[in-house]
Parts: sequence; C-alpha cells; structure tokens
Amino acid sequence: MNNMINRLKKIDIKSITLYIGAVLILVAFTIICKINGKDFLTTSNIQNIIAQSSVIAVVAIGTSLVILTGGIDLSVGSIVGFVGIFGGMLIKNGISLPLTILICIAVSAIIGLMTGYIVSYGKVPAFIVTLGTMQIIRGVTKVLTSGKPVAGFPDALSELTAFEIFGIPIIIFYVFVLYALIMFTLKKTKFGRRIYAIGGNANAAKLSGIKVNKIEMLTYMLAAIFSALGGILLLSRLSYADPNAGSGYEMDAIAAVVIGGIGLSGGKGKAGNTLVGALILGMLKCGLQILNVPVYYQTIIIGVVIILAVYMDKAKERKAE
Amino acid sequence: MKKLLAVVMVLMLASSVMLTGCSNNNPSGSSPNTGGNASKPVIGFIPMTLNNEYFITMVNGAKKKAAELGVELKVQAGDQHANAADQLTIVENMITSGVDAICIVPSSSEGLAAALKKCKKANIPVINLDTKLSEDILKEADMSVPFYGTNNYEGAKRAGEYVKANFKTGTKTAILTGIAGQQNAADRKNGFIEGAGDAIQIVAEQSANWEVDQGYAATQNILTANPDLELIYCGNDGMAIGALRAVKEAKKSDQIKVIGFDGISEALNLISSGELYGSVAQYPAEMGILGVENAVKLIKGQKVEEYIDTGAKLIIPSNVDEHQEYVKQFAE
Repeated sequence: MNNMINRLKKIDIKSITLYIGAVLILVAFTIICKINGKDFLTTSNIQNIIAQSSVIAVVAIGTSLVILTGGIDLSVGSIVGFVGIFGGMLIKNGISLPLTILICIAVSAIIGLMTGYIVSYGKVPAFIVTLGTMQIIRGVTKVLTSGKPVAGFPDALSELTAFEIFGIPIIIFYVFVLYALIMFTLKKTKFGRRIYAIGGNANAAKLSGIKVNKIEMLTYMLAAIFSALGGILLLSRLSYADPNAGSGYEMDAIAAVVIGGIGLSGGKGKAGNTLVGALILGMLKCGLQILNVPVYYQTIIIGVVIILAVYMDKAKERKAE
Repeated sequence: MKKLLAVVMVLMLASSVMLTGCSNNNPSGSSPNTGGNASKPVIGFIPMTLNNEYFITMVNGAKKKAAELGVELKVQAGDQHANAADQLTIVENMITSGVDAICIVPSSSEGLAAALKKCKKANIPVINLDTKLSEDILKEADMSVPFYGTNNYEGAKRAGEYVKANFKTGTKTAILTGIAGQQNAADRKNGFIEGAGDAIQIVAEQSANWEVDQGYAATQNILTANPDLELIYCGNDGMAIGALRAVKEAKKSDQIKVIGFDGISEALNLISSGELYGSVAQYPAEMGILGVENAVKLIKGQKVEEYIDTGAKLIIPSNVDEHQEYVKQFAE
C-alpha cells in the first residue's frame, strides 16, 4: 500500500516537472531581484513578461503542431517578418486593419499549404523544404520594400495589442484564447487525435485509414497561420515593420516547444505546455535583464536551461531503459 | 527523481549566488540588504549590439565616464542582430528595474516609437546616440530627445575629398555598401560619391551587409568582372578587411587601394602595416561619454545640448599612431 502511494507520488512529480521548473525560476528571480532591491513579481512585470513572450508563444503553437506530427518548420520566423512588411504596406495603402489581417492570414495559409504539399505529398524532408521557404520568404519580404522598413502607422494598429481590459493589455488575452483553442482542438477533435496518431506512428495511422498526407499538409498551413498571427502581434506591438524582423524566431519557437516537453520525434507532449516553455524563456530574458546580467552570459544561461529542461523531461525514458 | 530535483535546486542556488555576486560587484561596498543605493543615479545604456568593437568601445567610454561621475551604468543589448523587438523588451525591463535615464543607439531610425512612449509614460529621459531617431518617431512619441553622434554623410565625404585630392580623375572604383535600406549605409555611400566627385568612376557597387565574408566574396566577383580596378571603398572596416583579403589573393595589392570606415583596431593595424589605405574613424567612445555625462544632467533637471557632432576623421598612415594611442584608453 505504502509502495503504491509512493509510486503514485513519483508519477505525479514527473508529469509536473515543467511547472515545478517554471515556478522555481519565478521564485528564484523574485528572491534574487528582491536581494538586489528590484521587484520581479509585480502585476505589471508579469504582464510585461507575457507580452514580451507573446509573439514567440503564438508562433510556437504552429511549431508545436508540426513537431507533433514528427515534422519541423524553419520558415516561421520568415513569415513573421513577411507579414510585418506585407501587412504594413497594406495598411499604408489604406486597407482597413481587419481586412489587412484577413489578407495576411490568407496569403500565409497559401504559403503554408504549398510548403505542406511539398513535404507531405512530395516526400521532401521538412527540414529541407522549410530551410528553402525560410530563405525564399525572407527574400520576397526584402524585395517588397527594397529592404527598407515600413513605419508611421495609425494609432489603431498599436491599440490592437495595447488596448487594456481591466488594466490588462489585450495581447495577453489573445495568447490565452489561442492556446485554449488549440488545446481544445488537440484533445477533443478528430483532427487533433490524428495529429498525435501520425506523430506516434505514421504507418499505423495510414493503415487505420487516416489521410496522413492531408493532415500533415494542414499542420504546415496552421504553422504559417499562427506565424502570421505572431507577425501581426509584433507589427502592432512595435508599430513598425522591419524586413529582418522574426529572424531566429524559428529557433526560439522550437526551444519553447521542446522546453514544453514535446519531443522532436513527434507524437508525444502537450501544446499547452509550449506556452509554459515560451514563458520560461521570457522570464529568463526579463529577469536576467532586470538583474543586468551581461548579454553574453544571458545566452549561456538560456542555452543551459533548454538542455536542462529536456534532460529532466527524458528522466522517465532513461529510467525505463 | 528526487536526485534530479536536488540537482535542479542546487543549480538554481548556485546560479542565484553567481547572479547576486555579479550584480553586487558594481556598486562596490553596498550591503545587499539595503536594496541598492537610492541616491546613486542609474543609467540604462543600450547599444545597437554588443557583437562588434564599435559598440564595445562606445560602452567602454560610457563606463569610464560613469565611474568618474559615480553613477551606476546598466548595459543591455539584444543577443543576436540589432532588432527593434529586442530593444523594446530591453527598454521595458529597464523601466521595471528602475533606471533614471536611458541612452540608446536605435537598431533603426524608425523602430522605437513604442519604446519611447513607454519612457515618456515612466518619465524617464532618453538620449539618442550614434544613429539618429527619425523626426516622425519623436513627434509620434511627443518627446524631445538630444542626439549625439556623427554625421555619416560628412565622414564619408571627407574620405571622398581625400580621394579627390590624391587620385587621378576617373579612378576605377568599386563600392561595397552595408545593408540595403539602412540610412547609414546610404549616407556612407552617397557622402563618399559626392566628396570624390569626378575622381572616381564607379564600375561596381555591391551590398555586402557589413560582413567580412560577404565583402570577401563580393570583391572576388568584382575583380573577376573588373580586373583593372584601382580603388575599393567599403562602408565599414569588416567589409574592407574581406575586400583586402580578396585583393591580396588576386595578387593585386599594388594596383588596388582599399578604404574602410569605422577605424576598428584591426583596420588601424592594417593601416600601420600599409596594407589598408585608410579608414574613416568615428568616435564612439566620445558618444558614450557624452551620453552618460548629459544623462546625469537630465536626471538632475539641468539643460543639455540638443545636438553634438562627435566628428569623424580619415585615418591614414601619417596619423594612425596618434589615433591608436587615443583608442587604447577605451580598449578593455
């Protein structure tokens, strides 16, 4: 009996390692900041952290889906940059904000569908295809404005994220709503369960009648759509579009996904935890900056945390062996 | 599992001790329990990046001045390339950490409206260094921000005028520019072209994105197309170093002169040894010094100069020693 309780306890701790880690980091920063006479755990700073992590968090939703099927998408950062410039140009040309957002999502969806088609039906490895599209999209973005940034937007654009409800910037609600949506989709819909089935074993999924190619293709489309949403959030947050914006976000998104516990081989993990992963990255950046840790050390610490998080996550598998 | 948890705890503790150690080193002698020195002004300093010598020199100048004036300097920069999103995050976090003033080199002239608005809301004065914020942005944020830096155009023009005085008319010239679309890249090119006038005949122009390797590759290609090239003008020293290597490999060092921009230490060494013809030096340390000095004045509520030109000079073999002496005091 006692043994059983112990075993249960162990399992419980394992499944919440991520949350323990996140809370530990939060507590650690709160204490260290306090010692240094700074406040870390304040409402306004928590809002800051979520807002600062929001773009990566939203982009990482799409990355989670792709990685769950066992794929990878390196083009998400380029789409963030593309949507900034493309959407910015539309707004400058007098297109209304809602229509701009719709057009950006539609164009990105088409890009994602093409990428997905080449990966799933064309059988070209996702790494290669998206390595290519990453550069193509970045190039197209620069062609659009000859490499120049776009600036000087109406206030409505920044209000899109800065607008406050009960003193909380609306961008925070967007993040939680999008995550709620995707968690529901993965858990409660056929589409969601099929994504896991494909990532677990694509052949078995095929034999059980799942249209593997179609589902796979759709995940790349969704990845592009979430990247477009991230790009719009970034555009609104900065009220400025830079053709280089979003460079490296694909890696930050992958980091958020793996910290959240989704394995790169697919089939396992929760998309909701990706948000925790993104917030851990955001907390680290914010806390280290508040403590004025030199930037070179910041990258070292973030690198260590990424590896450590996955190392902890793999504890179960190691034990099983 | 318990073991792993213990490992994490220990790591956390270790890193916390390390971090506390780091941040307590700066305000020397302050006890950690007093929660910082309320009386000591804190200045946030945000260079474009910390990945090149130019900005490191600027930061060293700022640090020196901060130590002299007894103020605390917090330096933060984006971890990769310069970008507006990183700078906004840094400004937000600096406001949270309670800085009294911010000196910033914007990643681009137009990208900081959101960050400036936050500074204004928090009532934190801002000083703009090196790369000038656009007037539109300042208007949008409704802020007056002093600017201390060099006029890239004038510096480049000086290099051009030197070429005009020392080269024959119609010298076959290639130009390597920085990132297309950046204002300073355009200024460094156009200023040179104006200063040189009819002394140069431009046979090739390529963007090498400020990078050594791209400057090297671009020059190789330019040399293939124009074997009779006589002069290469580069928008920064990195590209000039790349260009120099390509020229050397093509065994055309006698035929082709290379001029760079920025006066970084490696470029100065190359000028000393006679390999590089010249480089336009700016005074980044001066910008850092002026930034800190005037930020302190702003904190005290005093008036400051709205604009100071920190100057630029063409460094050539005859004045390179003197300049190297000057630069040495800001090297770490």
